[in-house]
Amino acid sequence: MAQPTPASPLFWRFNAEVFRLIGIKCQDCGHISYPRTKICHECGSLNVQEYKLPKKGSIHTYCVNWTPPPQFEPPITPVVVDLEGGGKYLGLMTEVDKPEEIKIGSRVEMVLRKIMTDRGLNVYGYKFRLAEV
Amino acid sequence: MKGKVAVIGVGMIKFGELFEKSLENMIQEAYLNCLKSVDKGIDPKEIKAAWFGQWSGGYIGQGSQSGATLASMIGNLDIPVTRLENACPTGGDTFRHACLGVASGLYDVVLALGAEKMRDKPSAESMMAAGGGGADTGWHPSWMLGQGGPVIQAMHAVRQMHDFGYTMEDFARVAVKNHLNGTLCPFAHFQFKVSIEQVLNSPSICWPLHLLDCCPQTDGAAAAIVCRADIAKRYTDKPIFVLGTNVGIDHSQLWDRNSFVEQPATVKAGKGAFKMAGIKPADVDFAELHDCFTNTELLNIEDLGFARKGEAAGMLKEGQFDRNGSRPINPSGGLKAHGHPIGATGLGQILEVVTQLREEAGGRQVKLKNGIGLQHNIGGPAFGVSAVNILSRTS
Repeated sequence: MAQPTPASPLFWRFNAEVFRLIGIKCQDCGHISYPRTKICHECGSLNVQEYKLPKKGSIHTYCVNWTPPPQFEPPITPVVVDLEGGGKYLGLMTEVDKPEEIKIGSRVEMVLRKIMTDRGLNVYGYKFRLAEV
Repeated sequence: MKGKVAVIGVGMIKFGELFEKSLENMIQEAYLNCLKSVDKGIDPKEIKAAWFGQWSGGYIGQGSQSGATLASMIGNLDIPVTRLENACPTGGDTFRHACLGVASGLYDVVLALGAEKMRDKPSAESMMAAGGGGADTGWHPSWMLGQGGPVIQAMHAVRQMHDFGYTMEDFARVAVKNHLNGTLCPFAHFQFKVSIEQVLNSPSICWPLHLLDCCPQTDGAAAAIVCRADIAKRYTDKPIFVLGTNVGIDHSQLWDRNSFVEQPATVKAGKGAFKMAGIKPADVDFAELHDCFTNTELLNIEDLGFARKGEAAGMLKEGQFDRNGSRPINPSGGLKAHGHPIGATGLGQILEVVTQLREEAGGRQVKLKNGIGLQHNIGGPAFGVSAVNILSRTS
């Protein structure tokens, strides 16, 4: 599998999106997405504005992946999160003892974590952990 | 478009782990089988254009081929040949483009052929290739790490369980039905039965999906020859007519999707194809639906209008989708039994629909009422591409 290294242009290009969580909100239909786009994916409007994604939300859906990619110990738990104020975010859960702790509707928050190592370089990004109620 | 195009020949090879065959070997065998199936015979030089479906060769080691590969392998260098790739619906969309070629009036007789080598690389590598979304967002590990088919469909399955009360047993029943059908299909990769217990006791791949909830990675090739409907009787006494053909599109990024209990690409592909055909879902006798995972078949049945949302599992349990049920789904055994050689899959389903409509399916023959069958694919990084083709005994 062709894998970009952390030094490749793709990582530099998406720094604002990945670390500062800059996305867009369509001023016509309200759709929230990332990375930044000049044209709304949902309705095609050019009337989009930069929008800072919130770090908190609740789990929309998830699964328990027992056959993860290299470098990950099974199981890992990918989640799709309904962000506060709209929009969805796709990521991995962290700090989970048992997958059964994860449920649709569980409150979660983003934390900066090392995602993986690629050719000696660390790749950082946000993961989700269960939030204190 | 409706009724202007007819299928006059279909051919495929037995799908499987075909280590002894190259991509080129498979192309030639499927093509020769397809020519042979034209019962009144055809001069290969009557084929005036061709479309070649091949998905992601570059990632899995077969190379991303061009139209020249198909043209060379069939020994016909005097016609235009285009390679087409459109995610898991590559095969269904290749058939659609062949039909559009004839309907445009440019060509009288054309070939659609799909082929894919999935097994020359080890399973993990092949799966990783299939899971990479491509494009920038697909490669960025913060967003898309490991988001292959099993992860995406398991996320749908969890939501189907939450919203509709579907269970892992409900999903397993899809595998039981399709593998039973597959025992009677000579082209299927797997020709064994499974029980609900065997599915539930097979290793967990992505909870709630087990190994036997997933279709296998498979090599294969399949083809169809289509022509102007008004000249079809020159080639066969049993032409099968194309009533509707469409591709439906949805977001390419999972986080742009609104719902995980509906796949809008299928809904749109179906609506457009039904409108073109001038029929309703209820008029379809049987369908070959894209069961890459067991829960996906239930989504498809609902998204195409064969059941209301949340009701497919109950109807399956009642036997309505069995081979002798009121609307058989995947009488061939589907992807579960055949595997999923991506470029070939849709054309293999077309072969099954044509064979059933000609009442030549032997022990797995379904009862026909209106003489209408439907073929469906769905896939892509966020399952945002779907193809639907509707075929009929009458134009």
